[in-house]
Amino acid sequence: MYSETFIPAVASLGSLALVLGIIILFVSRKFFVAEDPTVSMINALLPGVNCGACSFPSCNQFAEELVRTRNPAMTCPVGGGELASKLGTALGITMAEPKPVTCVVLCQGHNGNARESAQYLGIQDCWAAAQTFAGTKQCRFACIGLGSCIAYCDFNAMRIENGLVVIDRELCTGCGACIPACPYGVLAMQEKKTERYFIACSSHDRGADTRKACDAGCTACQKCVKECPEQAIVIDNFLASIIQEKCTSCGKCIEVCPTKVNCILRVRDLDSVKSKKAS
Amino acid sequence: MKTFKTGGIHPPEQKLTSGKAVEVMPLPPELAVSMSQHLGKPAKPVVKVGDEVGKGQLIGTADGFISANVHAPTSGKIRAVKPHPHPGGQYSMTVFITPDGLDKWQEGLNTPEIDWKTLSKEEILRRITDAGVVGMGGAGFPSGVKLSPPKDKTIDTVILNGAECEPFLTADHRVMVEEPEAIVKGLEIITHLFQGKARAVIGIESNKPDAVAALKKHAEPKGIEIVTLETKYPQGAEKQLIDAITGRTVNEGELPFDKGCLVHNIGTAVAIFDAVCRNRPLIDRVVTVSGMEIRSARNIRVLVGTKFSEIAAFCGSMTEKTNQVITGGPMMGKAQFSLDVPVTKTTSGILFINNIGLEKSGEKTCIRCSRCISACPQNLQPWLLANTAQLRDFESIELYGMSNCTECGSCSYVCPSKRELVHWIRFAKTLAGKRKQRQSA
Repeated sequence: MYSETFIPAVASLGSLALVLGIIILFVSRKFFVAEDPTVSMINALLPGVNCGACSFPSCNQFAEELVRTRNPAMTCPVGGGELASKLGTALGITMAEPKPVTCVVLCQGHNGNARESAQYLGIQDCWAAAQTFAGTKQCRFACIGLGSCIAYCDFNAMRIENGLVVIDRELCTGCGACIPACPYGVLAMQEKKTERYFIACSSHDRGADTRKACDAGCTACQKCVKECPEQAIVIDNFLASIIQEKCTSCGKCIEVCPTKVNCILRVRDLDSVKSKKAS
Repeated sequence: MKTFKTGGIHPPEQKLTSGKAVEVMPLPPELAVSMSQHLGKPAKPVVKVGDEVGKGQLIGTADGFISANVHAPTSGKIRAVKPHPHPGGQYSMTVFITPDGLDKWQEGLNTPEIDWKTLSKEEILRRITDAGVVGMGGAGFPSGVKLSPPKDKTIDTVILNGAECEPFLTADHRVMVEEPEAIVKGLEIITHLFQGKARAVIGIESNKPDAVAALKKHAEPKGIEIVTLETKYPQGAEKQLIDAITGRTVNEGELPFDKGCLVHNIGTAVAIFDAVCRNRPLIDRVVTVSGMEIRSARNIRVLVGTKFSEIAAFCGSMTEKTNQVITGGPMMGKAQFSLDVPVTKTTSGILFINNIGLEKSGEKTCIRCSRCISACPQNLQPWLLANTAQLRDFESIELYGMSNCTECGSCSYVCPSKRELVHWIRFAKTLAGKRKQRQSA
């Protein structure tokens, strides 16, 4: 009994759907773009986080470029050696294996070590704090600890602990997206090693000033420089640094470091490298 | 009474020290003279550790076009040259001088007053540049550069800024009351540099009637106008002062000389007079030490390089309740992170404040009340700029007129949601600048 109301509605909408369907069919045939199936296959292998570590804006563009050029030197630092071999088999070439790198924090000035100069109440962002004064800590090279870098990490590998950024080495892929996010350049990339030594301090202040500001600061005392049998430690502008290529991981520098909290850190990377490959 | 057209606020004046004569602070045990006391490139130190310097001797030379000389504020020995906290919020190269107590001028400086009319224009400009005179209102733009505008611009109005619109500050006020002759002579020197045809005006806010009276007595016989301005913040901002006195608007990207104007601070006029007529470099200034938490608030004449901690001790020390020390006024001044910072040529005031309960720490969301828009003297929409800065959208923020913001703080003052509007805009300015650098690199 309602037929006179719904029949015209069904008929008009149905015919409209039919016409539009025909147009869609026509357009999809007419403007069909042939997509290389290899690209989508390669894209599926990639991590898919679009972190930009390979210098391409997205994983898809990396895949397109790789399929087009078949350049074995192109690497995805995030995927590491495992991904390189997978990509190699998929494309039938031998891919270069990227050096496993990781992010390190060149500062140990957490709230227990570093002394505060003033309380900061403004916008909770490192860049905003950096323009008001040289950080909340007395040391003007220290990690501010407001965590502007965390937003740049696609792998949830960073967190703030006790006023200092901490990197989860299991999760860090070494993409390097966090490096420019730090106003004081506290973050750096280092190649993974079985046993790696580095100076976890960025302070270029004179020794006395560094010691006043922080318990874990490098005072440029020269002791480790004299002790190192390989001459792998150099001091530049009141800050020691270890040349990783020369370092043989003998560990003598750590024994002589006189700072209250050792400013030289020892890290064993091999376990984490292995466990990542296994998973 | 004259005033600028749009926006403005009227915070409590709090001029606690307006009736107190300027006292001279005794020589401190050590002076930390910063090499970066002006806008532009820091000066290059020309002394070594162990050198003996005379009062007024050059210790830092201007490095580049926009830079200024720095002189030893007293005679003594150089103890160190190293980075030291700066009231601007960073570390800067600083020369430490241990005074020998003799306070002996270097020969040829601080001579008896001569008539400036006997000097040529080039000689006047050279003396101003050599003496390291910079704008003493706060920005510290080198005066020698400001006084030599491009050849194709004609200056028809020279304005002396005696508005002193910031609450608490009375340094310019006291100088106007105590040294009106020097101010008038300084202004005459400036107008002389522009063929003497320029109209000379001194703008003073209506809350300083004694300064108006003192200056009127000396200025009017010389044909200098005294304009009384409404007491309103930010009356003393360059663009607002030009608007109030001449009715001209300085648009985005323009400088005052594009509109035929030149604005100098009261203190700068005195420094120019000292430099030209007495060959005396800029080594001291009048500073207002005020705020609720200093035991004896006063105006003092201090040497450049005196540490804030010594000034606090001279003024009867601060109370235990002090939790913020600000250099400059409460609206545009900067909170300090250390009391070791020294006075520079641009330190107009030091305020000791207890702001418990007034902190801006609890930012709440914008309720679209539009008070910031009514308060903005630059016709901007501060809430929009801050929101865009929060989104890190540094392309759009340029279109919304970020570079027009003078950071006067009127918007943050009126915001009922306690939003850090000015801080967000400053944050955006820094990061947008970094972004441009990276793009061009």
